This record gives sequence, C-alpha cells and structure tokens, in this order.
Amino acid sequence: MEVDTIVARSTAPGRGALAVLRVSGPATRQVLEKVAPELEVPPPDRRPTLTQLVDPTDGDAVDRGLVTFFAGPASYTGEDLAELSVHGGVLVTALMEEACRKAGARQAEPGEFTRRAYLNGKLDLVQAEAVADMVDAESPALHRAAVHQMDGGLSGRLAGLREALLEVEALLVHHIDFPEEDDPPVPASTIVDRAQEVEDRLGRLLATAPEGELLREGALAVLAGRPNTGKSSLYNALLGQQRAIVTPTPGTTRDALEARVQLGGFPFRLVDTAGLRDGADEVERMGIEVARRYLSGADVILLCVPVDQPWGAPEEAFLAEWAGRVPVVLVRSCSDRAGKGRGVGAGGHEGTAEARERIAGAATVSARSGEGLDELRSLLGELVFGGLVRMGTDAPVLTRRRQREGVERARDEVAAFGRALEGGVPAEAAVSHLRSAESALEELLGVISPEEILDQVFARFCIGK
Amino acid sequence: MPGGRVADAPGAGRTPKRGVMPGREQVMKEDATRGAGGRADARGERYDVIVIGGGHAGTEAAAAAARLCARTLLITPDLDRIGQMSCNPAIGGVAKGVVAREVDALGGVMGRATDASRIHFRMLNRSKGPAVWGPRAQCDRGLYPRAVRRVLDELPDLVLMQEMVSGLIMEGGRPRGVVTRGGQVVEGKVVVVTAGTFLRGKIHVGGEAGVDAGRAGEAPSLELAEALEAEGLELARFKTGTPPRVDGRTVDFSRVEVQESHPEDFRFSGYVREELPEQTVCWITWTGQELRDLIQDNLERSALYGGALSGRGPRYCPSIEDKIVRFPDNPRHQVFLEPEGLHTRELYVNGLSTSLPLEVQEAFLRTVPGLEEARITRMGYAIEYDYFPPHQLRHTLEVRAIPGLFFAGQINGTTGYEEAAGQGIVAGTNAGLKALGREPFILERDQAYLGVLVDDLVTRGVDEPYRLFTSRAEFRLLLRQDNAHERLGPLAEEIGLLTPEHREALHQRLKRRRRVLGWLRQELARPEEVNPRLERMDSSGLAEPVRWVELLRRPEVSVAELFAEGQTPFDPEGDTAAAVEVEIKYEGYVQRERERAERLREKAGFKLSEELPYMAFETISYESREKLLRVRPANLAQAGRIPGVSPADLQNLILEVRRWRKQRASEGRDEATTVVG
Ligand SMILES: Cc1cc2nc3c(=O)[nH]c(=O)nc-3n(C[C@H](O)[C@H](O)[C@H](O)COP(=O)(O)OP(=O)(O)OC[C@H]3O[C@@H](n4cnc5c(N)ncnc54)[C@H](O)[C@@H]3O)c2cc1C
Ligand SMILES: Nc1nc2c(ncn2[C@@H]2O[C@H](COP(=O)(O)OP(=O)(O)OP(=O)(O)O)[C@@H](O)[C@H]2O)c(=O)[nH]1
Ligand SMILES: [Mg+2]
Repeated sequence: MEVDTIVARSTAPGRGALAVLRVSGPATRQVLEKVAPELEVPPPDRRPTLTQLVDPTDGDAVDRGLVTFFAGPASYTGEDLAELSVHGGVLVTALMEEACRKAGARQAEPGEFTRRAYLNGKLDLVQAEAVADMVDAESPALHRAAVHQMDGGLSGRLAGLREALLEVEALLVHHIDFPEEDDPPVPASTIVDRAQEVEDRLGRLLATAPEGELLREGALAVLAGRPNTGKSSLYNALLGQQRAIVTPTPGTTRDALEARVQLGGFPFRLVDTAGLRDGADEVERMGIEVARRYLSGADVILLCVPVDQPWGAPEEAFLAEWAGRVPVVLVRSCSDRAGKGRGVGAGGHEGTAEARERIAGAATVSARSGEGLDELRSLLGELVFGGLVRMGTDAPVLTRRRQREGVERARDEVAAFGRALEGGVPAEAAVSHLRSAESALEELLGVISPEEILDQVFARFCIGK
Repeated sequence: MPGGRVADAPGAGRTPKRGVMPGREQVMKEDATRGAGGRADARGERYDVIVIGGGHAGTEAAAAAARLCARTLLITPDLDRIGQMSCNPAIGGVAKGVVAREVDALGGVMGRATDASRIHFRMLNRSKGPAVWGPRAQCDRGLYPRAVRRVLDELPDLVLMQEMVSGLIMEGGRPRGVVTRGGQVVEGKVVVVTAGTFLRGKIHVGGEAGVDAGRAGEAPSLELAEALEAEGLELARFKTGTPPRVDGRTVDFSRVEVQESHPEDFRFSGYVREELPEQTVCWITWTGQELRDLIQDNLERSALYGGALSGRGPRYCPSIEDKIVRFPDNPRHQVFLEPEGLHTRELYVNGLSTSLPLEVQEAFLRTVPGLEEARITRMGYAIEYDYFPPHQLRHTLEVRAIPGLFFAGQINGTTGYEEAAGQGIVAGTNAGLKALGREPFILERDQAYLGVLVDDLVTRGVDEPYRLFTSRAEFRLLLRQDNAHERLGPLAEEIGLLTPEHREALHQRLKRRRRVLGWLRQELARPEEVNPRLERMDSSGLAEPVRWVELLRRPEVSVAELFAEGQTPFDPEGDTAAAVEVEIKYEGYVQRERERAERLREKAGFKLSEELPYMAFETISYESREKLLRVRPANLAQAGRIPGVSPADLQNLILEVRRWRKQRASEGRDEATTVVG
C-alpha cells in the first residue's frame, strides 16, 4: 500500500502577510520539481530558497516564495516534507494549494500531518495531543502548557513515573527470582515507602487535571442574579462587544448566551442568563430553568448585586444553594451609580457574616465606566486556575480526560498495591497492581517489556549463584 | 501457518536412491575423504525423525517423537554420556523447577531422572507464597544419565546410535537425512539438531589460547556448524563458564555452614514414582576482601577480561571476575559447595565460575573459609560456542527457511538444562507430528513457561544466553509448579504423549484435586474443631461453623497449619495443598490474571499471514517493517511483543492487513470469475 503525498495550508485561513503551505510524503520532491521548477534538484536540505512558484499545467507564475525542504526522516512528519512560504492572500494560497494538487499531492485531512508524525514515531501520543492543543490554544496558559507538553514535558514525567514503578517492581521481584543470592530481600516497608512516593507523585500530577482540562475547554463562568442587576451589561463589557440585549426592563434576558473569552490570560466560557425571580411568565420561567442548568455545571458563578440595591433574602437563598458547590464571586455592579466616596459594602449591603463567609471573592465593577473590570478578570483567573499559576509554568499539566483517566488508574493501582502489601498479600500477587499501573501509563505512552524489569534487577543486585 | 503437511514434502513417499546422489540432492559438508556416497544405515531403515545430540534437549526430543509412535533415531557421539550434565548437577530452581515439571507433565524424561538421582532437595521461596515455590534438586552426576538412559530404553520406537553427525543431506531445500563422521548415511523425514555447546566450541582457561572442545574432554562439532552455516542460517557466538571442582577430602567442613536437604517427599514427576536415593547435605561459605583483591590484581589474565573471548555471557550466571568488577563494594559473595554424587567426594564450587589460570584459581580458593587446603580436581573454564539466533524459528522450533529441520536447546541461544529439555520436548513433539502429517503443537504464554520460553526466543530473540525467570512471565500466578500437570497433562494426553500408565496417574491426580476443592467449598469447619488451630495462627476463633474455603481466605491461615492434624482428604504438604492455597486465598488475583490472559488471547485472535508483504506496508516505520519481516509474527499480540514495534505501528498494521486481505479476496474473486467465464 502506497503512502500518498499531502498538501495543506498550515497558517490560518484569511488574509495575512504570509501563508505557509506544507507538502509531505514520498512524492514531495516531484511536487517541488513541478511547482518550483527553478529550484535545485535535489532540493537543498533545510535551507530556505527564494524561487518562482508556478502552476504545473500551464507554467503560469503563482507567486515568488521561500521553499524549504526537509528530507525524511528528520522532518516534522518523518517523511520528506516541504514548506512553501507565499504571500498571504486568500487567492494566492488557494492557487498554490491547487498547483500542488495538480503536481500530484492530495488535500490533507485535518490533523493529518500530526497523525503522520505520530505514526512515524516522531511524537508520542501525549505530544501529538499537545500539537492539537497548541493549534487550538486561545489562551496564553493553554499555549504554555502545550509548548511544554510538546517538548516532552508531560511525556517525560509519565515516563519517569513508569520508570519509578518498574524500579519498585524490580525491588519486589528480585527476591522471587533470586532467592539464594548474596542480597537479602528488600524490606517490605522500603517497598511500600517507594510505592507511596510514586503514588504521591501521581497524585500531584493528577491534581493538575481539573484545571488542565479547563485550559482546553474553557472554564464555565455563569452570570446570575435578580433581574435587571446588570448581568447582560457586564457580559457585554467583559466580551468587549454588544452581544446581549440590555434594557431597563427587568426580565430582558430569556435564553442563555454563551461566548468564549480570555480573562486574566485564561480561557473562559462566559454565560449570561435570565434573572432569577418568582412569578415570571412562562417564557421567562423556561429561561430561569436554563439558567439553573448552567449554574449546576459552572466552574465559577458571578452573582450580580448593584451597589445601590439592598442585599436581601434572594441573595441569601442563592448563596445557600450554590456556594457550597461552586465558588461564587459577589459582583457589586453599577458602581458608577454609587455616590463618590461611598465604599463597597457601605450601608450593610454585603449581607450577613455567614454570607460573607460563603463567597469566594468580591469585586465592584461598572459596566458603564469599566471600573473594576480588570480586577474582576484577574480574580476569576486566580479563583479557577490559581493552582496552575502557583505551580509555575514548566510543570506538566494533564489537559485531557484520556490523560487524567490513565494517571488516575495508575494512582489507584499503586494505592491498592501498597494496601495489599501491608495487608500481607504476597509479592507475586500484589505485583499485579504494579503491572496494571505500569500498563495504564504505557497506554499513554508506549509498550512494556519484561526485559526492562530484569535490566533493573541486574543493575542493582549481584546475581550469580 | 507453522507446520506444513509432510505429504507435500518433495521426496516424501518416494524411496530415495542411495549411493548415487541425483542432481538436486547434495551432501553437505561430509567428510571429504569418504566420497559423496557414504554407507547407508546398515538395515537401510528410513526414520520419521532423526535427533542429533543426546543432551537434555536431544533426549527429550527423541523421547517425545518416539512416544507419538514416530520411528525415531537418536545419534550422539558417546552413548555413555547421554543426558550428561555439563555443568552443575542440579535441576530446577525458581521458574526452572516449573519447567522441569512441565516437561514431566508432557511425558518427558527430566522429572523422572531427577527424582531417581536427587541427593539433596530444597523448595526455594518456601517463605513466600506457593505460587512462586521453586523445587531444586542436587543430583548425582552418575545416577542422572543412567536414569535418562533407562527411561529411553522403555521406548520401542526409539533407536540409539553412537556417531558424530558431520552433515545433512538436503533435497529441495529440506533435510532428507544425515551423514556421520563414520561415513554412514541415515535417512529421515525430519531432523532435530540439539548440538548444545558443541558447535565450534572453544574452551579457555586463563590467557592460554583456546582449545577446540564441546565440553571439557569432548570433541567439538565443527563440520555440522559449517554445514548449517552454508545453508544460509545466521550464526552468532555466546560464552559461558564453569567453576572448579575440589576434592571433598581436602575441605575443612568445620569452617563452613551446613545446608540441609528439605525433608519432604517431593517428586518432580506426577506420573511415575521413582525411588529416591539417599539424601545428603550441601555447604555454604563466603568469599571476602582477600579474594576480591586477588581477582582485581589478575583480571587481565582472565579469558573473559583479557579479551580472549568475544561472545556475550549471561548476566545471571556471571563469573566471579564479573561479580567483582560489577559490584566491587559487596564485601562478600556466597559460595555453595555441592556434592557431585553419593559415591564421590568431589564437590562443585557453585558461585566461583572463572576463566582465570589454574594458579590464580588455586590462590583464590585458599582465601575462602573451609577451602584453604582444598585441592582442585577439575579447573574452572569458560567456553564459547556458536548458536543460531532463534528469530529464525517458528513456534514449533522448526527453522523457517528449512522446512523439516528443527533446532532445540543451547544452540538456540539458551542456557540451562531445563530450558534445553523444554525446547527438546516442543521440537521433538512437533517433529514427530510433522513426520506423521499431523497438526503442530504450540503452547501459549498463559499455558506454560514453555510457551513463554519459545515465544520469547522466536519473537524477541536473544542478546545474552537466555534463561527463564518468573519475571519473564506475564502470568506468574497461573504458571505454577503445583499445577503443571493440571495445565499440560490433558493436552499431552490428547496428542498422544502419555503412556497408559501416565494417563492413569493423571486422571487420579485430576480427580483428587477436584475432590479436594469440592470438599473445601462444601464441608463446614466446626468451632470446637478449628478454634484451637486458629488460635495458634493468631486468627480469631469461630462462633458458628463456616465452610473451609472461608477460613482459607484469611491471610494468616495457611493450609499446612490448618490441616496439620489430618482429617482432610489430602496431604497438607503436597501439590494440591499449594494449589488450594493460591487458588482460594488469592482468587481475586488469579482471576485478574485470567482476565488479562483473556485479553491477550483476543489480540492473538487477529492472525497475521506468513505471506504478508511487510516491506510494502509503507505506513509502518521502516525499522518496524524490517523487524516484522524478520520475526513474521503469527498474530497481533506477538507483533506487539517485538521490541521496537510501537502501538502506532500496530494500528497501521491492522489497517494494512485489512487492506491486503480485501485486495487478495477481490483478486481471488476475479480469478474465479475468469475460470467460470
Ligand atoms: C562449561 C559449561 C558451563 C555451563 N554453565 C552453565 C551454567 O552456569 N548455568 C546453566 O544454567 N547452564 C550452564 N551450562 C549449560 C547447560 O549445560 C546446557 O544449557 C545444557 O546442557 C544444554 O542442553 P543441550 O541439550 O542443548 O546441549 P548439551 O547438553 O550440550 O548436549 C549436546 C549433545 O549433542 C551432542 N552433539 C554435539 N554435536 C553433535 C554432532 N555433530 N552429532 C551428534 N551429536 C552431537 C553432544 O555430544 C551432546 O550429547 C553450561 C554448559 C557448559 C558446557
Ligand atoms: N449606570 C449604570 N447602569 C447600568 C450598569 N449596568 C447596567 N446598567 C443598567 O441597568 C439596567 C439593566 O441592565 P441589564 O444589563 O439588562 O440587566 P440584566 O441583569 O441583564 O437584566 P435581565 O436580563 O432583565 O435580568 C439597564 O438599564 C442598564 O443600562 C452600570 O454599570 N452602570
Ligand atoms: Mg439581561
């Protein structure tokens, strides 16, 4: 079965100063000979060359551009690969793609270059996922995590953990296979301690998963409050766009509106909802139902209470219902309507002490003047992604469910191993937990060989009766 | 698919002409002085199976083929050395002990010969769970081969011949017989080669130039090695070593520790009860600083370290030079003094394998407590020899490129008697089956250590002499010494490897085990009866009667102690007790392994044809294609075990194979249409 040669634009569609096309596959040289007839044959490896680019059927010039050839397997995909840098017009890039197709390449499927890189062993699965994250990244935080993961940060960490498990297994089984040797068995307590260390390391990695996954998906931030409290205005202000209808009439918003937005460098999905109140008409009641559904999936809730409005029973009830499950930020809205020098909370607006305990943070903002918006943005970033921020930028982060589940399975098995060993289960049975943990990590990365356990054993113990 | 039908073999069924070699035939590497014709086997007999070599692989191979009623010839240069133990006269150990029992379960020779010759026994790993117990027997070097010979003589279809084979007769790319140094030509349908360390064997002591030898005092096999090489088979070289033997009368036993034999009445054989010889003891002593310094000062005089030896040696059976170089900080190393037999005072100095010159061997022995005055009877030496990298074999141990030729034992890059015997039985069984035109016999990794052994050899290859460890098996809890007969006995019976006597013993055994398990699951243990025993085991007493299985699930309760006072339908020290203990106490874990084995089987269900054009599968990385081509795995699970073949390669392989199958099917249909049209 032949592998074909593919072409696709690698830069985003639309107008830009430059656009880059990639061609990859065994016929890359032939494609170049046809679309870049003036280029040396064979094309110079890894040296960009400015040359004429033409349509191979009629020889008409399409553009003048930079051509860089990477001979496989030392290329991104592991195959022969060329990058064509052309001017970034919509038409130019379309014509150039067309020219490459006429020269024998096929239009690539989405993600096909990375898929080939993975299949050719240039990337492991985790790194391939990072490439996808990198391309998708809207927020600097996801981008940072992806760069790190693509460099092998996460793979390296997972491989290190697997290595540590193999080491524990070697300590455990060495005395099964070599009972009459110079070295005595390693005490069970040492092995349990080592396993505990690995379990803790797995736990720490796992702790990054909730925020890591939110890095990809965006944290769900839901605006809530009574009607007419400025939710839609705040929504528009945070988006920097007039997306929601704003009127002085309570009950304006019916359906929920959702938009992706960067807040404090982190990705959010901000949702505007219908104001909560009793005795609304049917349409509004349905809107309130929708709002409640969003609230129950929220990562953070923004409870809007205008500064000039009293704190009341509905707010108390709201906090009682939600604050135990999701962090709730109290947003004192319409701050421009407050009198000069009138601080937030003046007049007992913050409610009971109990309510103050319940809220995760507070901000005073004006959608109209923009006051307090930046503070609110960083407050939200800190509340949802604070753990990642504190961990620093070069710590590996789990950004996918697949990764979380694998690491979770590994951690649970290591924990079960420790319990089994302490509970008197003999090594040869307990070791099955270690093997399951190893294979969970291997599924994320690669394959196991029992030879590696033996290598560990031989490196460590003097064997040789 | 391994194992073609013998009826397809060119020459099968035809009476080959003797004396004159037709054009297509050729005598490979026969003693030139005797001319191409040679003499025929005196009685002009044509064998189903010819086995070359009477070591541990060869005897098992010959016995297995003969049990299947294939007319079998065993040729070896010295009939008095059949089943000879080249190195330490000990059988078994961890994993190896399980193999010895598996060989017995398949109707082999090793278990009986060990029982009939063992003079010291230990159940290794006794302090651990019964799943990893390893029976190990020290044997009498003289009694063992005698017992082997006795068992072989029971086989009516086996013929023995004392000769050195110098070449194969080939016809149409298949062997059709062998030629001996003595000039005899013997014809056979299939040939099993088990030449051990004899292929271009070379012995080294100290810095002296190597001496050609198969074992100390025995001639190497040069012509056969060349003949096989000329057939285009890949060869490589390994080395191994052996320690000096000393005269027991010169050992000061007051300075060494006694290692008693375990008293139990353990038998490797589950079928035939051999009479055990008298039991004796072994001794333990230790090396110290002085020995370390001596060896460090003389390292360059070692054949291993002086560079005289090029092949790779095993890490787990290292010379004392190796141990000192790799672990210079270990203050001492254990040395076992093991008797060579009941009627000799010669002792095997286990742990001091070396290729240093005699005078250094003498000097370092003087530093070991108890051996200060010891006189060396035979010096330690190292040997290097040819082996055939085993990726060239199928799971039947048939050479892929030469149908009808099988390899077993040390020539496949393994080390150890049990590994050799195990391969012998696999190769001999398959050789017999092939000669008789029957289906091949292949053991899987979850069925036997023999399955692990063969699959490791053909799939992963070897880069040091291969020995079995429990760590090589995915399913330690399933592959135990106590259940080898339950696992393999019925299979052996089915293909015809068991005699009526074996079969009877097997059925008794299976029945007994079923009865015991049934009893434990049904019968109630009464408080008044078991509470005193539970108390002794620090286990809480019963208020109500409970089933025995419930008690056995308690971690602190052991079968041996629970039933120490009898009243059970089984012997609390026998195999059944061990099996019960693992299968009841660790039922959950055993179950986990069964499930994992099941998943492996699913993957193994995706068969890979022998004909797959791997190099054309361009979506698979080049290195992986080469590896797949080399191994030609039988299924996807095996492909995944090839070192370096990644999960991504496997994904692509599935797609490529599906595409290839579809294409073949459509081509097949096209042809059919043409025929009809
Ligand atoms: C010096 C030495 C040290 C060893 N050390 C260890 C050790 O430390 N640990 C360990 O586990 N194992 C060790 N072994 C290995 C162990 O002895 C072997 O693995 C085992 O005996 C192999 O069995 P086999 O049947 O393959 O070959 P062998 O037992 O070697 O038998 C080969 C047989 O083939 C016969 N033969 C050879 N060529 C021909 C021919 N052309 N025609 C007819 N017959 C032929 C020979 O006469 C012999 O009978 C050692 C072996 C040696 C020689
Ligand atoms: N001065 C001032 N007025 C504001 C501010 N935010 C909102 N308002 C006014 O408050 C009224 C209600 O605003 P909305 O944003 O529609 O309020 P809402 O909470 O979305 O209302 P519903 O959708 O009805 O629940 C409008 O008249 C807005 O102009 C603010 O920051 N300052
Ligand atoms: Mg609104």
